[in-house]
Amino acid sequence: MSEHDKIRELLALAAADALTRAEEKQVAEHVRSCIACSNELGAWRPIASELRRLPTPQPSSWLVQATLARAEAKLTEQAEHDWNRRVMIVFVAFAWLFTIADWPVFHFVSGHFGSLLEPQFSYTWISFAAFTALGWLAGGVAAVMLAMRQRGEKRLA
Amino acid sequence: MRLFLALIRITSMVGATALSLEGLVAVDAEVVRLRRGDLNALSELITRYQNRLYRYLLRIVRQPAEAEDLFQQTWLRVVEKIRSFDANRNFDAWLFTLARNLAIDHLRRIRPESLGEPLANNWHSETVADRIPCKDHTPLDHVLAGERRTEISEAMAGLPMMYREVLTLRFEDEMKIEEIAQVTALPVSTVKSRLRRSLEQLRYALEARYPGGTWQ
Repeated sequence: MSEHDKIRELLALAAADALTRAEEKQVAEHVRSCIACSNELGAWRPIASELRRLPTPQPSSWLVQATLARAEAKLTEQAEHDWNRRVMIVFVAFAWLFTIADWPVFHFVSGHFGSLLEPQFSYTWISFAAFTALGWLAGGVAAVMLAMRQRGEKRLA
Repeated sequence: MRLFLALIRITSMVGATALSLEGLVAVDAEVVRLRRGDLNALSELITRYQNRLYRYLLRIVRQPAEAEDLFQQTWLRVVEKIRSFDANRNFDAWLFTLARNLAIDHLRRIRPESLGEPLANNWHSETVADRIPCKDHTPLDHVLAGERRTEISEAMAGLPMMYREVLTLRFEDEMKIEEIAQVTALPVSTVKSRLRRSLEQLRYALEARYPGGTWQ
């Protein structure tokens, strides 16, 4: 491809102001000495100029208001969702704490603190805590699976 | 006189830069407020971008009703995703990327054929200018400016989606090539070649509609 052909390919981009500095310089130098390319660049310029001046279609005020109303509703919904999530986290943390601590606390309050050290009590307490943990784990897995399924359905909708 | 003109030019450049920086800072502040759930920030952002966003969507889907629906969906998506928006990124590019993805998904469902690459035509092997007779002067003065814009607008609407998109982003939104590359997730070189082809196709379409350069 000759220099002339290369420059000719750049002329549309030159009219669109989409060339690098080096390319701009190259085009400017060539156009000064090539009448055909100079005319060609002159033919591209009105197209680029008209494209820049195309009228901008305006969205109706109704559309803007409706969008704002829907977006605000979404923001409020998200804020509520965040609040619910925080409350849920606090409840879950409390439930865990309560589950693990209730038996020792009960024994401590009832004056049988020494029974904490009894092998029989430790065995019962650990088994109880393990069963509770399993229950929570199963519940957590079910909740995650449900959330994933709901998200998938939302995407399809 | 020359010094005076240079001074005016420099002043206007500084003014334009200051205005554009002020706009960027304002957008950043609004985005930060929106992330905190500020409804006023959302209203300000919608007002700021409404014309550009609506025009972009309308150029892509061409149907006002569809553009309106996508306009709403885009802002809902903004609200949904604003927390995952990286503040170091350009908000314009992020917003237009969201709009673009929604528009493409929509077209894929409704009119998948409109997303197809245009067939390679014979005219691609030669530049359009090779077939248009060169003229020493352009007959622009002979036709009303409004008519020319209608002609260009109609010819542009007939182009494939990816060409309409790159034309509107470059000429109407005045995005830099790098910004267009961000929005379209394409390399800069591809954006440039797409822009060149879109201009060539536009000129070809105008020439086909108005033989002999009468559109000018």
